[in-house]
Amino acid sequence: MNPSPSSGVLEHNADEDLSTPIHAPSIHSDDPQERIQARRLRIAARVEARRREALGEYLDGKKESEEDHSKSYKQKEESRLKLAKLLLYGTELVTNIRVAIDVREIHRRVEEEEIKRQRIEKLENEVKTSQDKFDEITSKWKEGRQKKIPQELWDMLNAQQLHCAGLIEDKNKLISELQQELKVKDDQYVKDLKKQSEDISLLLERMEEQVKSMMKAFRQELFNIEKAFEVERQELLTSNKKKWEWALQAHSTKELEYLVNRIKRVEDYEQQLNKQRIWDSEEYLIIKIKLEQDVQILEQQLQQMKATYQLNQEKLEYNFQVLKKRDEESTVIKSQQKRKINRHFALIDDEKFREIWLMNEEEAKGLISRAFDVDRIIHIQHLGLPWTAPDFRFLNNVGPISQPLQKSATQIVEEVLRQTEEEEEEEEAVSNPKSYLDLPKQISAKTTKKILMLLCDESGFLIESKLLSLLLPLEKTECYLLRLDAIFSALGIESEDDLYKLVNFFLKYQAHHGSSSQGETNPRDGTGTERSSLMSGVERRSMATSLEQRSLESNFLRTSLAPGSEAAEQTALEEGEGGKQEEKAAPASSRLIHPNDVLKILEAFVIGLRKPRDFGAPLKVGKDMRDDSKDSEYWEALTTVIPAAKQSLWDTLYTALERYHLVLTQRAKLLVENESLEQQNAELQSLLQQYLHSKINSKLQVPPTQVFRVPTK
Amino acid sequence: MQDSRPPPAPPAPPAPPALRQSPSGPRASLAAHTSATGVVPAKHTVPNFRRMRRIIAEDTEWSLAIVPLLTELCIQNIIRNFRDNPILKQLPPEYQQKVLNHLPPDLPLAVTANLIDDEGYWRRCCMQRWPVCHVDQHGGSWKRLFFERHLESLLRCFIPGTTDPNTILDLLPLCKAFVRSLHVDQLLPPVHLPPTPRTAGDQSDSGSEGEAEESSSDHYSLGPLVAGLSQLEELDLVYGVKDCGMNFEWKLFLFTYQDCHSLAATIKACHTLKIFRLTRSRVDDEKARILIRSLLDHPALEELDLSHNLIGDRGARGAAKLLSHSRLRVLNLANNRVRAPGAQALAHALEHNTNLLSLNLRLNCIEDEGGQALAHALLSNTCLTTLHLGGNELSEPMATLLSQVLSVNTTLTSINLSCNRIGPDGGKQLLEGVADNKTLLEFDLRLSDVTQESEYLISQALQANREAARQRALNPSHFVLPVTANGHRKSVA
Repeated sequence: MNPSPSSGVLEHNADEDLSTPIHAPSIHSDDPQERIQARRLRIAARVEARRREALGEYLDGKKESEEDHSKSYKQKEESRLKLAKLLLYGTELVTNIRVAIDVREIHRRVEEEEIKRQRIEKLENEVKTSQDKFDEITSKWKEGRQKKIPQELWDMLNAQQLHCAGLIEDKNKLISELQQELKVKDDQYVKDLKKQSEDISLLLERMEEQVKSMMKAFRQELFNIEKAFEVERQELLTSNKKKWEWALQAHSTKELEYLVNRIKRVEDYEQQLNKQRIWDSEEYLIIKIKLEQDVQILEQQLQQMKATYQLNQEKLEYNFQVLKKRDEESTVIKSQQKRKINRHFALIDDEKFREIWLMNEEEAKGLISRAFDVDRIIHIQHLGLPWTAPDFRFLNNVGPISQPLQKSATQIVEEVLRQTEEEEEEEEAVSNPKSYLDLPKQISAKTTKKILMLLCDESGFLIESKLLSLLLPLEKTECYLLRLDAIFSALGIESEDDLYKLVNFFLKYQAHHGSSSQGETNPRDGTGTERSSLMSGVERRSMATSLEQRSLESNFLRTSLAPGSEAAEQTALEEGEGGKQEEKAAPASSRLIHPNDVLKILEAFVIGLRKPRDFGAPLKVGKDMRDDSKDSEYWEALTTVIPAAKQSLWDTLYTALERYHLVLTQRAKLLVENESLEQQNAELQSLLQQYLHSKINSKLQVPPTQVFRVPTK
Repeated sequence: MQDSRPPPAPPAPPAPPALRQSPSGPRASLAAHTSATGVVPAKHTVPNFRRMRRIIAEDTEWSLAIVPLLTELCIQNIIRNFRDNPILKQLPPEYQQKVLNHLPPDLPLAVTANLIDDEGYWRRCCMQRWPVCHVDQHGGSWKRLFFERHLESLLRCFIPGTTDPNTILDLLPLCKAFVRSLHVDQLLPPVHLPPTPRTAGDQSDSGSEGEAEESSSDHYSLGPLVAGLSQLEELDLVYGVKDCGMNFEWKLFLFTYQDCHSLAATIKACHTLKIFRLTRSRVDDEKARILIRSLLDHPALEELDLSHNLIGDRGARGAAKLLSHSRLRVLNLANNRVRAPGAQALAHALEHNTNLLSLNLRLNCIEDEGGQALAHALLSNTCLTTLHLGGNELSEPMATLLSQVLSVNTTLTSINLSCNRIGPDGGKQLLEGVADNKTLLEFDLRLSDVTQESEYLISQALQANREAARQRALNPSHFVLPVTANGHRKSVA
């Protein structure tokens, strides 16, 4: 009935129609702008269609969500019913044709049947009558056979012919009737065909009409529904709008109310704030005044506290000073005490060492003398050689090998000072009995002292200021001593040598400069100092010892010759080798050394001293102890008083004597054996005699005496 | 016969073997290209309005390149030579589509039938041949539509003894996989030129005269064809000539015994057949019985339509027997000669049947006797939904009984009693029956002497039933609405 929408042709055509609107810009145009325009239109159309579709769907969804009471639902339902009814009537209208034809067909069939029945009846009647007639005719034939008269026969034959003709006529009539009927039927067929085509056209017409009307109705209903929806939408919109407006109004009035309230409150708060501010500022002022007063009071208190604090500080400082002084005193006392204790212990140690040394030496000497005795006996008695006692000088040595003691610089200084004082005293007393000064003879004690004094005065910066203040109350010499001690410790001068070197350095420096000022006289001296500074510590010490030994000797000489006077001393010193010039220069120098030069000299000295001091360090360790090297040599020598050759001689002698002793012992043994054998022999002889002399012998046939000869004695 | 023909173009062969050996290799396409350029220079017909535009949004294949792409040339060559050398399956999918889009629709079926499945191509073929195509009547498949209609057109024009039967049988291997239904609305009888002038006049007045020539006026035997169509489900035949108009002759509508026997054997052998229609073919009792006998215990048959024939009570009895020996769902015996005994037989079969949904006895003459028998059967039947008894000389007693049936039965949805003589009283009784019924949706009482009032009331009741049915369909889920509405409209139509 309705053409299928999926018919491809239609769809395609529709598509094409859509895509090429007649008057709109064409996409096939040559002008690109026009093409763009066309495409835009097309896109807009598509978008519109899609939007509508979406909207429709949206409305559909809304429809379902709405309740039955809504206008749209009613309209929808109404339309549906209406359309269903229309459809029903429409189909009825169309099918009516079929039904009418059916009825007509049924009527036709009924009529046809009736006609058929009549026809058959008629035919049957016809058959019956014709049969009757035929039977009549055939029966007449029999009659005719019996007829003999030709006339009669002819008559009868004529009658028969008439009958037959009648029969045939009847039949022909029937046939013509039937043919007539057939013709009618043919006409009927044509009519029916016509009717059929008419019916079909009617049917088509109605169907088309129906389709049209249905489409119209559907369109109408759709329109109605849409309208209903639109109305409903409008209503909804207006109602919602009203609601919205009402709500908005309510909202705005409320808002206004709130605003007024707020403004009022703000004003209120502002007033409160102002009040509060004024009150606060007043309070603030009061508090400020009060606090300022407090501050003033506190400041006064602070001042008082400060005053008391200062007082206290001064007191404490005073106390501190007192305590410091005491501390210094105690340190001085402590050092003095320490020195004393050191000296005492050293003496005791020396004593002990000496005692042990003597004991051991005695023992060793006893052993040596015994060994010598034995050797002498061996030589004289066994070897028959004359024995000479070996001459060892060290055997005469008794007590530890004495070595001159190394004195520390301070000790020397002390001695020097004391000595000079004594000398001064002695000078006053014109007597210098014990001038055992162990200074190198080239330098006099006085020069040394002068130099030291100078040094002491000029290099006060090396002494700690604390010490200086402490030294003030002390005695002059004591003061010097402590000062020098501090200076030496600062310069690194420790030993006696160092001190002498210093003094020498001063002198040489002076001489050098003095001579240079006077005219270069002694270049050797400069080289000498250089050499001495380059000399190794060991060499220098040995040299020093030898010098000391010599000085000792010279001291003795001096004492014996002319002690005391400076001149005498000078002469004594002149006797010492190579020191003349210095000796001469020395007294001059002490005078000539300008205090300003002291520092330069010291600097040069310290630079010069540092180098040798580096490798001379190990010596410093053994300064307080004795030198052991000689001891071990001494004791070693003691062990080798009997030389190795003599010892081997002793060894061989010992073995020979051993052998001799063995021989002697064997001989002694043999002697004893011999003696016992003799005794046995004597006994055996006595026994034999007894046997020979017994009576039994006589009784025997063969007396043994006859068999053997009796040995005779 | 296309297959046997040797490839005529001498330059063509070098390219196809290369393609066949390595379809996707670049060398193959190169070879194809060289051959293509060598043989036929590429013609690129440029429509005027396109000129030298670089892009045309409506045409995705447009390219301004003066020298066409190699693949393009290859494809063109393949399209040109497709008749002789069909290359399709070896191509990559995108090129396959291109080729299919450009193939001419008049290629021989021998080439295309089993090679091309593309609906677009077959749609073009159909469009070119027939102005109106209802693809949804052919399962939505254009290819099926094409083959079915092609085969039908061949069968319609087939003249036995004149046309070469191979024209149909040659098509068989090509279309057997696609043809599912055959609607042949005319089958031509053989043409006998010599006797025509002799019988033109007086001999054609009787229906019985055809029997003398029966042996020589057999129609085309469908046996071999149907046996070949393995998918056939629907067979719709008319042994007659369409639109004969004033050239009417009885022998044009002669369904011979030979035809009948061959058809019976054919449908018996076709186990996939679901729908069999044989209408307007002057099938009488004997022939109906022959056909029905062959359909007994058919494994698939669901619908049998023998309307507009000459089947009487014996044939109806046969149909009744078939009802109990098959799974028939639709039986149409409209416009036959079934009378009361036949209807009684059908009623008897219907009484215990559980398959039949629709029974059509329009334009028969079962009368009250047969109608009452059917009504009695419907008292116990719970399957039948549609009953058409229009134009059957029924009257009041039948209406009385039917009103009882209506108040009991709950399966019937559509009854047609139009063109009967129900009468006003019968109408009232029917109204009572309909009032008690809640399932009946359609009740046709046109031209059956029922008073307008009762007819209107009945239609009201039916309207109520329809609404109820609609609500029932709606309630399970709201989304069935359009479907039910659709179905409703259809059923009304």
